[in-house]
Amino acid sequence: MTDINTYLREWTMPHVLCPGCAHGIVLRSFLEAVDQLQLDPDKLAMVAGIGCSSRLIGHVDFCTLHGTHGRAPAFATGLKLARPELNVVVLTGDGDALAIGGNHMIHAARRNIDITVLMLSNAIYGMTGGQSAPTTPEGAVASTTPAGNTEPMFDSCKLLIGAGASFVARVFAANPLEMTKVMADGITHPGFSFIEVISDCPEYFGRYNNIGGGANMLSWMTVQDEGVAGPLSAKRFVNHVPITVLSPALATGVLEREVRPVFSGIREG
Amino acid sequence: MSDVQLIQGNEACVRGALAVGCRFYAGYPITPSSEIAEQMVRLLPGIGGVFIQMEDEIASLASIIGASIAGTKAMTATSGPGFSLMQEHIGFATMAEVPCVIVNVMRGGPSTGLPTSPSQGDVMQARWGTHGDHPAIVLAPSSVGEVFDATVRAFNLSERFRTPVIVLYDEIVGHTRESVALPDSVEIVDRIQPNSDGSEFWPKRAAADGVPPMSAFGDGHRFHITGLTHGERGFPTNDPQVAEALITRLHRKVEAHAEEIIEVEVFMMDDAETAIFAYGIVGRSAREAVLRARADGVKVGLIRPLTLWPFPYAQVAEAAKQVDTLVVAEMNLGQLIGEVERAAVGQAEIVGYLRVDGEPITPTALLNVVASVSGGQA
Amino acid sequence: MSETTSGLLLAGVGGQGVLLASMIVADALVRAGHDVKQSEVHGMAQRGGSVFGHIRWGSRVDSPLVPLGSAEVLAAFEWAEAIRWVPYVRDGGAVVADIRMIVPPGACSDRRSWSMPYPGIDAEVFASRGLKTRLVDASAIATELGNVRAANNVVLGSLAAFLDIDVVHWEAAIEQFVPRGTEEVNLAAFRAGREASEAQIPLPTVEPEGFSGPHEIDIRHDWCKGCDICSRICPEYCLAVNGDGVLTVTNAEACTGCRLCVLLCPDFAITIHPPQEPATVPVHAVQGGASR
Repeated sequence: MTDINTYLREWTMPHVLCPGCAHGIVLRSFLEAVDQLQLDPDKLAMVAGIGCSSRLIGHVDFCTLHGTHGRAPAFATGLKLARPELNVVVLTGDGDALAIGGNHMIHAARRNIDITVLMLSNAIYGMTGGQSAPTTPEGAVASTTPAGNTEPMFDSCKLLIGAGASFVARVFAANPLEMTKVMADGITHPGFSFIEVISDCPEYFGRYNNIGGGANMLSWMTVQDEGVAGPLSAKRFVNHVPITVLSPALATGVLEREVRPVFSGIREG
Repeated sequence: MSDVQLIQGNEACVRGALAVGCRFYAGYPITPSSEIAEQMVRLLPGIGGVFIQMEDEIASLASIIGASIAGTKAMTATSGPGFSLMQEHIGFATMAEVPCVIVNVMRGGPSTGLPTSPSQGDVMQARWGTHGDHPAIVLAPSSVGEVFDATVRAFNLSERFRTPVIVLYDEIVGHTRESVALPDSVEIVDRIQPNSDGSEFWPKRAAADGVPPMSAFGDGHRFHITGLTHGERGFPTNDPQVAEALITRLHRKVEAHAEEIIEVEVFMMDDAETAIFAYGIVGRSAREAVLRARADGVKVGLIRPLTLWPFPYAQVAEAAKQVDTLVVAEMNLGQLIGEVERAAVGQAEIVGYLRVDGEPITPTALLNVVASVSGGQA
Repeated sequence: MSETTSGLLLAGVGGQGVLLASMIVADALVRAGHDVKQSEVHGMAQRGGSVFGHIRWGSRVDSPLVPLGSAEVLAAFEWAEAIRWVPYVRDGGAVVADIRMIVPPGACSDRRSWSMPYPGIDAEVFASRGLKTRLVDASAIATELGNVRAANNVVLGSLAAFLDIDVVHWEAAIEQFVPRGTEEVNLAAFRAGREASEAQIPLPTVEPEGFSGPHEIDIRHDWCKGCDICSRICPEYCLAVNGDGVLTVTNAEACTGCRLCVLLCPDFAITIHPPQEPATVPVHAVQGGASR
């Protein structure tokens, strides 16, 4: 078994994210998938936008492009078309992917370009201090929705299926084994793969909504995701918040998988 | 030289780009630049290139930056409204030092403005449009032949200095068809590759000229690219000294090579008492005005920069010492006239002829200005 | 009212209430009749990051920023922040500092207190520049009063000794800014801070038990940020985060090697070595930057 930490740029560690932030768990699960698939690190390009999740790519020893806010799918499109042998993975957040970058995301999906998007959704803007996001559930408190969010949230997977993504899945950061499996499936799927990972933000979302720290937030996910309720929800998690009040039930697992022509730009042959 | 051909300015742009090795084009439809995309999609696939129409201009520039990072020469073309959207990634390409070429076929603004009329309203946006302190290389051809040359030069300068280069011309130059003889081959400059001596590649460690070698994703160097302020290893930092070193180097690599970048046409200036400063399409009217004034015995010359940024301060200063009056003609409300005044430092009277009605500046109009400043003799 | 402008700095780490304290001081100065300007920096707000506020006051103030080496007084809510910001204090000025130590998670080298590269408690560093110093164990005092979050007002109580502001103004400002319902404990904290004397500072002691060497669970302390995920999910109760925020192995023998802690550690800080492998490096020998 490979030591997953060998995929890290060790000198950049510890990473920049807060204690209890599940984004690191997601990154680890992704590296497990990279290891299972034995992807060549020299040919693995990770493209990110702006935000907490996007900062993670600086810590992994691949070809890493930390672009501009929301534009990662557009940078990734150029990379992939110009160099089809690269495995291109976009690491993005919910605000990055669905608000400022929504247009790029749906068009990359529509074209069915062969890239994989991992969207780490924590229902809030963490890096800027806890403002509401397109994925903030109605009623949830954020620094810009002090009395509770009054806007409806996106169901990102439905959005991406509508846009034409040929592989769409939703997984929870509390379930690393499932994450790794779905990520490996997404990476090997020919065409556009979109995986929403429900992650957490204990520092802002958890604090503002009285859910508690990282462990409590992961516990909340296990309540949401019945499929992984086994090992995690059994024991010592306390103070379960009836967060279903805040969040509509989200379908999980692989929600769309279809093989259709992969876009490679207008080129010869 | 190959045979003389009748082609449009926008077509010459495509020919120049392909001749110098452009193999990736991404764009979004906009008048008056769309012919560039329409030509690219016909010609690129046959020579191993890739074309994509993106969802907007922000994405267009992002994807050519991605392609350039993958090691491919890439360009996009647009006009004012799209150029506004591209400012975000002009800044990114400058900061991350990614070679790429942006063609802006200028039309009247602000906003949607005059889509089918010429303008020179984007000169300052080309210099200062993206936020923060940054260098700029901006070329301004005034004829179909010069569009070809400027596009070739833009790619070469971009590769040479690892920075985005902007080609700025207007709707008339873009849509005019002229007979030109295009060269069979052109000078081609490629970005410097890092040593393959096994040492760790630090993507922002510059050579003595301020330009770091550049590897491509997939070539075996695993490195990080970011728009955050970063050190030589390419990773973000808040260290004030590193920040200053980076920003000053980005400027220095361009400013210190200004002589290599700047091109100015100096026409009939030997004995001139009045000079016209004009660029782009106005430069052609100015040349004609000079010829007509000379026929009447009026001593007029022309200073016509083909490089707008870095601005040719030295050349303008020299002209200002010689002449009594510098007439600055622009199709805007006065964008480069301020730079001319800075260069002239009071040594010559500066008179502006500025126009923003979407109509070209004619030789006759300039002749009248010259006549009024030189005592009504022209 | 002073003819010239005076400045003070407040510094601490995210979560300590530095900005709230900064607003209280500024408000008290306004109530005392001064022109006041205040500025604060709280940037990429990782909990545990450095947070500071500048305050200047006088008959007329033009800029809120206190120049280096000119502050009358520095109020530090955390020990390393006191060391970090002391160059802003003028020679002969004053320092009020909480002796509490919070090792920043983003810059964590080994967080176990006996081995971390962290400035010790030594008022001599201030005395050498002729600074009047008052050290307080504000967290302990506030805890005793029933709410550790009132520690910021303990520090303000100590700070009050160096500022010519009537106590009425201080207390009015505190009542205005602290969260509703906590006025009483915060006022008590302020009063306790006024009374606290530097002689009563107990130096923290270090108790290294609990690190004597689990053989299967390898914790990389220089990466661990002390979140409680692993300790809460471990089915065998092998791990615990102690009062200093340091992860400890409390029941090494019970580890079954299920790796749940490894997979759910957001910070790549845990490795489980299978039993058949030779015994691993004991936790206490793992230093910052070492690899497995």
